[in-house]
Amino acid sequence: QAIFCLPRSFEYSQNNAVLVPAAALGVGGLLLYWLRSGRKIKTIDMGDGWWGSGERPLKGKEDTSIRPFKVETSDKEIEDLHRRLDQFRFTPHVEGAAFHYGFNSSYLRKVVAYWRNQFDWRKQVEALNKYPHFHTTIEGIDIHFIHVKPPYVPHGRAVKPLLMVHGWPGSFYEFYKIIPLLTEPAKHGLNEGDVVFEVICPSIPGYGFSEAPHQKEFDSIATARIFHKLMNRLGFKEYYLQGGDWGSRITTNMAQMLPQSVKGLHLNLVFIAKQSLGRLICIMLGAYIPWLVGFSREDARRFYPFMQKNVFDVLRESGYLHIQATKPDTAGCGLNDSPVGLAAYILEKFSTWTDKSFLHKDDGGLESKYSLDELLTNVMIYWVTSSIVSSMRFYKENFSKDPDLSAHNRVGVYVPTGIAAFPQELVHVPWVWAKDVYKNIISYSYMPRGGHFAAFEEPKLLAQDIMQFVQKVEQL
Amino acid sequence: GFVIYWFVSRDKEETLPLEDGWWGPGSKPSAKEDESIRPFKVETSDEEIKDLHQRIDRFRASPPLEGSRFHYGFNSSYLKKVVSFWRNEFDWRKQVEILNQYPHFKTKIEGLDIHFIHVKPPQLPSGRTPKPLLMVHGWPGSFYEFYKIIPLLTDPKTHGLSDEHVFEVICPSIPGYGFSEASSKKGLNSVATARIFYKLMSRLGFQKFYIQGGDWGSLICTNIAQMVPNHVKGLHLNMSFISRNIYSLTPLLGQRFGRFLGYTEKDLELLYPFKEKVFYNIMRESGYLHIQATKPDTVGCALNDSPVGLAAYILEKFSTWTKSEYRELEDGGLERKFSLEDLLTNIMIYWTTGTIVSSQRFYKENLGQGVMVHRHEGMKVFVPTGYSAFPSEILHAPEKWVKVKYPKLISYSYMERGGHFAAFEEPKLLAQDIRKFVSLAELQ
Repeated sequence: QAIFCLPRSFEYSQNNAVLVPAAALGVGGLLLYWLRSGRKIKTIDMGDGWWGSGERPLKGKEDTSIRPFKVETSDKEIEDLHRRLDQFRFTPHVEGAAFHYGFNSSYLRKVVAYWRNQFDWRKQVEALNKYPHFHTTIEGIDIHFIHVKPPYVPHGRAVKPLLMVHGWPGSFYEFYKIIPLLTEPAKHGLNEGDVVFEVICPSIPGYGFSEAPHQKEFDSIATARIFHKLMNRLGFKEYYLQGGDWGSRITTNMAQMLPQSVKGLHLNLVFIAKQSLGRLICIMLGAYIPWLVGFSREDARRFYPFMQKNVFDVLRESGYLHIQATKPDTAGCGLNDSPVGLAAYILEKFSTWTDKSFLHKDDGGLESKYSLDELLTNVMIYWVTSSIVSSMRFYKENFSKDPDLSAHNRVGVYVPTGIAAFPQELVHVPWVWAKDVYKNIISYSYMPRGGHFAAFEEPKLLAQDIMQFVQKVEQL
Repeated sequence: GFVIYWFVSRDKEETLPLEDGWWGPGSKPSAKEDESIRPFKVETSDEEIKDLHQRIDRFRASPPLEGSRFHYGFNSSYLKKVVSFWRNEFDWRKQVEILNQYPHFKTKIEGLDIHFIHVKPPQLPSGRTPKPLLMVHGWPGSFYEFYKIIPLLTDPKTHGLSDEHVFEVICPSIPGYGFSEASSKKGLNSVATARIFYKLMSRLGFQKFYIQGGDWGSLICTNIAQMVPNHVKGLHLNMSFISRNIYSLTPLLGQRFGRFLGYTEKDLELLYPFKEKVFYNIMRESGYLHIQATKPDTVGCALNDSPVGLAAYILEKFSTWTKSEYRELEDGGLERKFSLEDLLTNIMIYWTTGTIVSSQRFYKENLGQGVMVHRHEGMKVFVPTGYSAFPSEILHAPEKWVKVKYPKLISYSYMERGGHFAAFEEPKLLAQDIRKFVSLAELQ
C-alpha cells in the first residue's frame, strides 16, 4: 500500500505545482506593496490656527503686507533699567559655591556693575539694526524677522534661501556673527564651493519682537506652519532650514509638514525619544563593545559614562524645563520685573550649556567664550519686549501634549539632513540613533569644539558645516 | 540561621548619630559660643515700606492667555487685584504689631542666630505644668502659620476646648528662613536642622517634649525623633514624605486589589485614578522642587528683587496645595480659605528678611544628591506617632504606608477637610487631632 501512495503523492504535487509560484507571486506582490507603502513619505498635517486676541474675524482677508521695522529705545527705557539695576538686592552665596547652586552672586555683582556703567544699549540697538528687520501678520499675530541678502552676488551664481530658527533662551541675535559668513563667505575666508545664502531669521511667536500668541496650545507645529507661510509670503518655494534647541524641533516639523519645500535640513541639536528595551540593551552593550551597536569611538567617548551624562547631568540641568513646562506664568513673573534676576536666569544657561566644566568656576567661564556686550544684548531683547513669560509658555504648550516629544519622531524625516554634533552639547545623539527618525542623513559631523549655542559661540565652524552639507545636497 | 537573623534584625531600633556642625561665616572661632537667649522684636521702617511700594508700583505684568485660569501658574489678572490690595490697603506696621503679639527670641546655635517664638499658657490650673510642644514650619511657610493654632493649644479653655491638655509652644524658624540666620556653609540639611532644634529645646530646659510638623517640618521632626527618641514624648505629623518601600507601589495593582491589601475606602478615593492623582499630579506640581533642588541661587535671584514675583511664586502654592481643583478658578480660590492680610504677612517675612534664596537652598541640601542617599531615609521612627491625613494634601499617605516608617503609629485620622497648610487653614481641626494624639501618647 505504501508503494502505491508514492506515485499518487507525486502526481498530487505535480497538479499542485502551479500553486507554489502562484503563492510566491502573491506573497511577493504583497511584500512589494508593503515595502512601497512603507516608503511613501508620511507627513504631518499642516492644519491652521488663529492666535490673535478674541475671536477670529469672519470677514476680511488678513493683511499680508511686509512692513520694515527698526528696533528703538528711549531715555525712559534706559533710566528705568538703571534704576532697577541700582536697587537690586543681592543674596550672598555659600562658601565654595562656584556655579553649583546656580548663578554665583559675587560674579553677578560684576556683571551688574558692567551693565550699569559700561554697557551702552543705544549702541547695541544700532548694532541690532545693521540688518533689515520686518514685521508681517500671520494667523493673527505679528511675526518679526530679519532678512539679510548678500551685498554682492557673483555673476551666474544662485543664492540659496536659508531659514535659521533660534531657541530658548536665545533669539535671532544669536545668528548675527554667522550671517556674514553665510552671505559673504569669500570675504571671510570661507570658500566652500561657491555656496552663498540669503538668510531669514524669524523670532518664534512670544519671543523678542514677535507678538505673543493670545490663545492656548501654540506649539512647534503651529510655529512650523507659520514659518512656512512666511517663506511663502517672501516668495520662496524651496529653501534650506537650520536650527538648534527649539529651532531644531521647529525646523524638523517644517520638514515633516512640507518636505517638498525643504531642500535640506541642518541641525546642531537632535531630539530623540530613547525608550525601548532594544535601546536599553544598546546602551549597556555600547559601553563595552561600541562597534557592535553602531557607536563610533567618538560616540562612545561623548556618550559614556551613561548614567552620569544622560541621567544625572540631565536631571541637574532640567529644573528650568520642568517648572516652565508646568507653571510658566509663575516662573516668569519675577523675571519680567527684575532685569538682574532675568540675566542670572538666562546667563546661567550660557555658562553651563556652553561647557559643563564651567560649573566649577566662580565666574561660570562666561567671558571665556562670549563678551558681556553680546550676552547682555540677548538678555535685553527679552527685557525690553517683556517676552520672558510667553517664551516660557512654549515649554508647556509643547510638553503638555507630548511629554517626550516623540509623536512626530514616529512620522520620520525624509528630506536630506545634516547634523553637526558639538562636543559640549547637553546630550550626544549618535548617528545610529538619529537615523531612526532622520531617514536621509547625508552629513554627520563630530565638531571639534563648542556647545549648545553653536551659532553664537562657534560661528565659523557651524558655517563651514552648513556649507559642506548644502554642497552635498546640491550634488544629489 | 536565616530565620534567626531575620528575627533578630527586625525593627532594630537604631538611632541617627548626633554629630555636630558649624555654619557661620569664615572659620569657627575658638571661644565658646554665646548661649544667651535674647528677646527680639520684629521691626519695620518708613524706608522699608516706601521701597516696597515703589517696587509694587513699577511691577511689569504679562497678560495671561485667554481662559488659562491657574493652569499656567499664578493668573496675572488676579495678581493685579492682590497687588492693588497690597499697595493700598495692606498695613505692614499693623501686621508687625500682630507678629509681636507673641514673644520672639534669638539664640546662637552652631554659629547661627536661631529665631523662635515661645508662647506660654496665660492661665493654668494650679499644680499643673504645661506640655512643651515644638512646632516646625515648612516651605513656603513660616512660624507665622502657627499664629491661629497657638491659642487653641496654650489657652484651650478660652476657645471652647477642655483644659486637659495645655501646651507651651515653641516655633523656631528653620535656618535661612525668616528671622533665622542663613548658613554660610554648604550642607545644612534636615538632619543638621533637627540637631539645632534639639539643642534649642535643651537650652530652654526641656528634657522631654512633643514635636509637630508638616512639609519640611515633618522631615525635621522625624529626624529629631530618630536622633534623640528618649527626649521625644510624641511625634505628630500632617504630611509624610513618600516612604520608599514596597507598599507605595501596590496601588499600581489597581483598585480591586486595594481592599485586599488593607487600603480603606477613603484611601482608594484619594489615590485613584492613580495615574491622575499620583503620577501626573506629582509631575505637574514638582517643577519648583526640581529647580530649587538644582539651581536655588538662580531661581531665587529675581524673587528677592521683585516682591510681586515673590508673591506670585509663593501664593501659587497656597492656592494649589490647599485644593488642587483651585487651578480651575480664575482667582485660584485663595481667598476662600485665607485672608489676603495673612497671606501677605507670610510673604513679607520672606521679603523683609531677604531669605527666599536661602530657603530654596534647603531643597538642594536635602534632595540635591538624589533620593535614598541619606541614612535617615532608610531608618524607621520608634516614638509614639500621630498622623492627620488631610484630604486635599498634595499626596495622600494611607495608614499602611505611614506605619511602615513609623511602627509606633498610635493615632491616624482622616481629617474632614483641609490641605497642605493645615495649621494655617484648619487650626481647630489640627489642634483637636494633636490633643487626641497626646491623650493616647500619655497612656504609653
